[in-house]
Amino acid sequence: MRVGRDPGTGIGNGFVKAGVMTLVYEEATDFGVERRCHENSVRALVPQTLVQTQRILLRWARDLTTIIEVLVLPVFFLLTLNIVLGQMISQVTGHSALYGTVPMNTLAAAINGSTIGAIGLIGERDDGLLRRLWVLPVHRASGVLSRIAAETVRIMITTVVVLAVGMMIGFRFQQGILASLAWLTVPVIFGLACATLITMIALYTAKNFLLEAVTLVHLLVILFSSGFLPVNQFPTWIQPVVAHQPMTYAVDAMRGLSLGGPVRWPLIATLLWAAGVTAVCIVPTLLGYRRAGTH
Amino acid sequence: MRATSTAGPHLSTRAQWWVLTTRFIAPTLQNGELALTIASSVVFTAGFYIPLHQIMRTATLGVASSYAQYLMPLIGLEAITFAAISTAFRAATDSVQGLNRRFRSMPIAPLTPVTARITAAVYRCLVSLTVAVICGYVIGFRFHRSAVYIVAFCVLVIVIGALLSFGADLIGTATRNPEAMTPLLILPPLIFGLLSVGVQPVEQFPHWIQPIVRNQPISQFVDTMRALAGDSTPFGGPVTWSVVAPTLAWLCGLAAILAPASAMVLSRRA
Repeated sequence: MRVGRDPGTGIGNGFVKAGVMTLVYEEATDFGVERRCHENSVRALVPQTLVQTQRILLRWARDLTTIIEVLVLPVFFLLTLNIVLGQMISQVTGHSALYGTVPMNTLAAAINGSTIGAIGLIGERDDGLLRRLWVLPVHRASGVLSRIAAETVRIMITTVVVLAVGMMIGFRFQQGILASLAWLTVPVIFGLACATLITMIALYTAKNFLLEAVTLVHLLVILFSSGFLPVNQFPTWIQPVVAHQPMTYAVDAMRGLSLGGPVRWPLIATLLWAAGVTAVCIVPTLLGYRRAGTH
Repeated sequence: MRATSTAGPHLSTRAQWWVLTTRFIAPTLQNGELALTIASSVVFTAGFYIPLHQIMRTATLGVASSYAQYLMPLIGLEAITFAAISTAFRAATDSVQGLNRRFRSMPIAPLTPVTARITAAVYRCLVSLTVAVICGYVIGFRFHRSAVYIVAFCVLVIVIGALLSFGADLIGTATRNPEAMTPLLILPPLIFGLLSVGVQPVEQFPHWIQPIVRNQPISQFVDTMRALAGDSTPFGGPVTWSVVAPTLAWLCGLAAILAPASAMVLSRRA
C-alpha cells in the first residue's frame, strides 16, 4: 500500500519534510505491474530504518540544546575535572588523571544523551507520531532499530569529540590500534544499555520526575566512580560499592585499553553489567514502545 | 462607577498570586517532586563529601576546622540551584502549552504568573536548604555564631535561590523547550561549583585559573556563607565589609541584568 505520495519530491524510499512524514516504499524497477514488498519484509527494513535514523539525527542536529548537551558540556566538564583534580590524582596514581576522566566523560555523555533520546520519544508518543507510524505500512522493527542506530551514532560522535579534546591535553593510546578500536566501542555498549534503561523509565513515568531523578542518579554514578578519583582514595566502607559499579568497570576497561593494565576482567564485568541491564529492561521497553504506538 | 453586572468574583492580585502558587506547590506532595528536592540535598552532600573528604582534608587543614565545615556552603548552593532549576522546566511547560498566552488574555498582572513560579521555587529552596543544613550537621558542619548570623546565612541562600529561579524562569519561558532544561542547567552549576573555592582553597588550583576561581560568583557566595556560619576559634574570619561586598555586588548585578531581560521576555508575544 502506498501512502501520501508527495508529487513534488519524486520517488524515494521515504522522506521527512517540515514535520509532515511521508513514507513510500516501492520497487524502482516496476514496469506496470504493482509489485511491492510486504511491509514486514527484510527488504523494507533496511531503507526504512535508515530513513528514520536520519530523521532522529536530523532532529538532534537542529536542536541547539541537544548540541550543547552532547558536544559542549562533556568537554567543559572534562576540562574542569582536569583542572580541579588532575594534579592531585596524578600525584597519587603516578599517571595522568586523563586516563580516568576521558573515559568517564565519554560514558557520562552517553548517559546524558540517552535522556534526550528518551524525552524525544515521549514527545513523539504524546504528539501521536508513533501511533501514526503504527497504522502506516512501515516495518514494525524499523522504529526501534532506527532509535538504536541513532543512539549509536550519537554516542560515537560524543566519544570522538571528548577523545579529541582529551588528546589535545595529553591523552594518548599506548596499546596499539586494536585496543584503541576496542576503547571506542566500550561507550557504545555501555551507552546502549543505559539508553534501554532510561527509555524504559521514560515510558513508564512522568517527564519531570524522570529528568530530575536520572540527573541525580547520574551525578552519583559519576562521583562514585574510579574516573572521578582512584578507588583507594574513597573511604574504606564505600570502596566495594565504587569498585563494583558499572561505570568503574567501564572506566577501568578503557584505562587498560589506552594506558595499559588489566583489561580482561573489567571488560567482562562491563559486558556483564550491560547484558544484565539490557536483559532486565529490554522486554518492558519494547512492550512500552508498542503500547506507546498503539494506545 | 463600576458596572456591577460584570463583577463576578473579583480576585485581588495577591489572591491570584496565591492561587497560582498553590497550583505549583500542591502537586509536589504527590508527584514525587518534594521527595526529589529532599533527595537532591542528600545526593549533593553524599556526592561531594564522601569521595572528597579524605583527599581534600590535607589541603584544607590550615583554613577550616573540618572538611564538612569547609564544604557545606557549596553543598547548600548546589542544592538550591537544583531546586531553582526546576522552575525553568515549569516555565517552559507553561510557555509551550500556551498557558502564558492564556494568562495574558485574562485580567492578571503580567508579573503574577512569574512571581507565583518563583514563590514555588523559594518554597523548594527552603526545603532543600533545610535538608542540606540537616545533612551538614550529620557530616559535622556547625553554625558557630549567633541566631542573627544563622538567619542571615539562610536569607542569603534563599535570595540567591530566588534570583537563580527568576533567571531560570526567563530562560525556560524564552526557549520553550521543557525537555532540555534540567540536564542543560545541571552541568554548568557543577562546573562552576568545582571551579570555586567551595571544594578546595584557591592556592590548590593551577596559577593561570586562580583569578577566575577567586572572583567568580560562587566563590564569593561561598566565602560570605563561610563567614556567616563561622568556625571554631582559630579559624573563621569575621564578617567584614570586604567579604560581604562582592556578594552583594554580584546579586545586585544579577538583578540588574534580569530586570530588563524579564521585561523583554515577558512582553514578547508567545
